[in-house]
Amino acid sequence: MADPARVKTEVVFSETSTSTDRPKQSEGSSDGPVNASTTSEPTAVQTSIKEEGKGRSAEDTAAGEEEDEASSSLHPPPATKLKVEHEKKKEKRQKVDEDEIQKMQVLVSSFSEEQLNRYEMYRRSAFPKAAIKRLIQSITGSSVSQNVVIAMSGISKVFAGEIVEEALDVCEKWGDTPPLQPKHMREAVRRLKSREQTPNTKHKHILFH
Amino acid sequence: MAEEEDDPGFDEDMDDGGNGADLGQGKRKQLFSKELCCMMYGFGDDQNPYTESVDILEDLVIEFITVMIHKAMSIGCQGRVQVEDIVFLICKDHRKFARMKDLLTMNEELKKARKAFDEANYGWVLK
Repeated sequence: MADPARVKTEVVFSETSTSTDRPKQSEGSSDGPVNASTTSEPTAVQTSIKEEGKGRSAEDTAAGEEEDEASSSLHPPPATKLKVEHEKKKEKRQKVDEDEIQKMQVLVSSFSEEQLNRYEMYRRSAFPKAAIKRLIQSITGSSVSQNVVIAMSGISKVFAGEIVEEALDVCEKWGDTPPLQPKHMREAVRRLKSREQTPNTKHKHILFH
Repeated sequence: MAEEEDDPGFDEDMDDGGNGADLGQGKRKQLFSKELCCMMYGFGDDQNPYTESVDILEDLVIEFITVMIHKAMSIGCQGRVQVEDIVFLICKDHRKFARMKDLLTMNEELKKARKAFDEANYGWVLK
């Protein structure tokens, strides 16, 4: 039986890097996602690291570039400087992506059987697009584009994940064992609501009255 | 039916035990029970999660989608839902925003790849 805390950290770590899940499903591939090598896997965690790296590297490269360019021409055109900075940022981002991908591969290769199973379920599970489209169309009354359906199903999966993770936290805190019970779910929803991560239209925000 | 409406408290408790003739109250067909089951296992729950938990989660997801779509209909183009509206609503929540951005980018890349693949394979037909 996998240790839920351990599995949870892994899920949080890899939470947003499930970008190849949809493409694999749409192409009907039956390979496990174990060898998923993605071209780019920007993640929320990684974004913050990227931004820090960007900030630091931009300053360094800008200073370096300025010196080089000043020696060749008196006033470096700002467009060139920006373009060079942008390219350096892109390289840095790609390098960070590759690091991320390698780390993921190392992690996944060291999974136990049960963990591999769970990871596969995590990446492969998705809401059926047809049902989501039907639901959305029954709400709007008119047809919606495919992108909307894709966006909504992805966001709903993240939402479900947030609730399950919070419920597992609650379960652990209350000293219960994993099969989640409705009381854990309800407490999780209550906590998310207090943190405003659950949208509700019940409270109408009136600006001027 | 009239009896149930008179005793709403009693009806709530007996929701699951409602008879087959009970149309509106308890027996709504589950849309996502199989997928949600797998999803909960993937997110850390037991391999066979409780049916009641799956039901609660499904209700929550449907409510989430409904609220989001209603909000999206009220901003931007009235009465229509576009991707930009959803982006606007989600931008506060970093996780969801990043996930949505990934999905849409990946979708675009796939479309381009398929188009290029088709042209490579069947381009000679046009010639």
